[in-house]
Amino acid sequence: MTDQDKEKVYEQAIKQAKNTINVASVLVLAGVVFMIQLTYFPQFFSSTDQNISAFDTTAVDPMVMTMDLDPTEIENGIHVPSGLIVDDGVDLVIRTCGVCHSLGLVTQNKADREGWKDIIVWMQETQGLWDLGATEDAILTYLANNYAPVDEGRRRNLEVLEWYDL
Amino acid sequence: MDKKNNSRRNFISKSALAAFAALAGTKIVFGENFPSELEPIGLDELETPEGIPGKSDALTILNNKPWNAETPPHLLDPEITPANLMFVRNNGIPPTEYDLEKWTLTIEGEAAQQKKTYTLKKLYDNFAHYTYDLTLECGGNGRGEFNPPAKGNQWGLGGVACTRWTGVRLKDVLNDVGLKSSAAYIGYYGADTHLSGDSSKVVISRGVPIQKAMEDESLIAWAMNGEAIPKMNGYPLRLVMGGWPASVSGKWLTKIVIRDKEHDGPKMGGQSYRIPKYPVPPGTKVPDEDMKIIESMPVKSIITYPKTGAIIGKGQSFEVRGHAWAGDLKVKAVMVSIDFGVTWQKCELNPPKNRLAWQRWKTRITLPEFGYYELWARAIDENGKGQPMVLPGWNPKGYLNNACHRLAVKQA
Repeated sequence: MTDQDKEKVYEQAIKQAKNTINVASVLVLAGVVFMIQLTYFPQFFSSTDQNISAFDTTAVDPMVMTMDLDPTEIENGIHVPSGLIVDDGVDLVIRTCGVCHSLGLVTQNKADREGWKDIIVWMQETQGLWDLGATEDAILTYLANNYAPVDEGRRRNLEVLEWYDL
Repeated sequence: MDKKNNSRRNFISKSALAAFAALAGTKIVFGENFPSELEPIGLDELETPEGIPGKSDALTILNNKPWNAETPPHLLDPEITPANLMFVRNNGIPPTEYDLEKWTLTIEGEAAQQKKTYTLKKLYDNFAHYTYDLTLECGGNGRGEFNPPAKGNQWGLGGVACTRWTGVRLKDVLNDVGLKSSAAYIGYYGADTHLSGDSSKVVISRGVPIQKAMEDESLIAWAMNGEAIPKMNGYPLRLVMGGWPASVSGKWLTKIVIRDKEHDGPKMGGQSYRIPKYPVPPGTKVPDEDMKIIESMPVKSIITYPKTGAIIGKGQSFEVRGHAWAGDLKVKAVMVSIDFGVTWQKCELNPPKNRLAWQRWKTRITLPEFGYYELWARAIDENGKGQPMVLPGWNPKGYLNNACHRLAVKQA
């Protein structure tokens, strides 16, 4: 290799090194910008455009059935203010049953579909409940699915919330 | 808990608003079928103060519309239940306005010699006063354990209280009015209003056979524990007839009817406060004509000390105590078991302060070794009938669960 050749190799090496440093600098800069945006402008990267997602008919949004429920009030599938299990028809139950009595009367009771129907008929016959019309079917489905009886035998095990030294 | 209830109340107010907004617009709740006279009672919730008026936060709330709440067993430890701890079992909305000058009690009915109306002052001035300790227990106390479940408030153990009632004897007032020989039953009416807001609807109107009404301890009472009756328990005037389902002791009392047949007010007939005439398998649909009215309540006891969950030091003995009652009867014996009913230890048992008051019992227990134990209490009435260790006969509405009280303890 001649001295000239050697010089060319050095020049190329220096060029490559400069390019690498430039690319790295750009990458670092981009990274810093990204981090700043992620930290201070997170919505820039999140795809929460509800106008667009509302057009998405492939995903059935469970909240469509419960439009009036505040999502921040739902914990572990329970609508905290009412205590009801979140499922199709829960809004109808809240609006219909909650008008006249505590929804605690729903959550503490258990019955199959026929049993819940009996309760509705009893309320209609004696308590002034109106004809539920087409909503009755959805309400019964909700109640029978979510508040069905559990066979607990003739005596259940004791539950102790808190042990303490006597 | 308070916060939760509060947020629930607010929520229900909002949901009621939503419902009425819906009526005007989208008809989600079938507006055309919604009776026009039905007041939006959910909106009243906005004016309800924190918790149950006049009651301790320690009560377990079963229902806030209408108010229903029970007392945790360990808070029933005093001989006389404090007013703010007595359970609340409302069927409707208690009155909110009280004009004590104008409050009257009217006695009438087909078996009354005349119709007569008394002001509170007249009752107070014209009749002898009596004070008794009387046990009131909700007919559905213990309902929560029935299987298959019965509808209604799922009461645990605390739908019971023994408080000190003062008033006049019902029989003195009935005799002042005059009974026809055909008198068979009495029924009451109160000033509470129906949940639906329909003022023409009677919330509840029950009663007792004339023999029970004429007992010395059947009172028209204006005082409990030496003070005015709590608003949620019937202020200013109520019936108190111990030993029977508490629903026979009408609250916010305004009228008594003397009937020549079984009283037929709301919640006397159908399935309400009734049990099958014959034992049925769990889950049976029993026709109305095969149901009979509950009268005297069955023998029962509760452990009020210690509270469930006690950890006992090795070798220590501790007191176990509570109350026992038996409807119209006296309790003859109370026993406690620490080995799931294999052996029973007899307890010291006090006589009742007066007829129909609950009886205090106590004993000392030593646990034999390290481990988990259950304390079971079982009372036996003067006729030899005792509490069952498993659930008693199933009935459609889940009344009369007098299965023995159990709680958990450990030896460290």
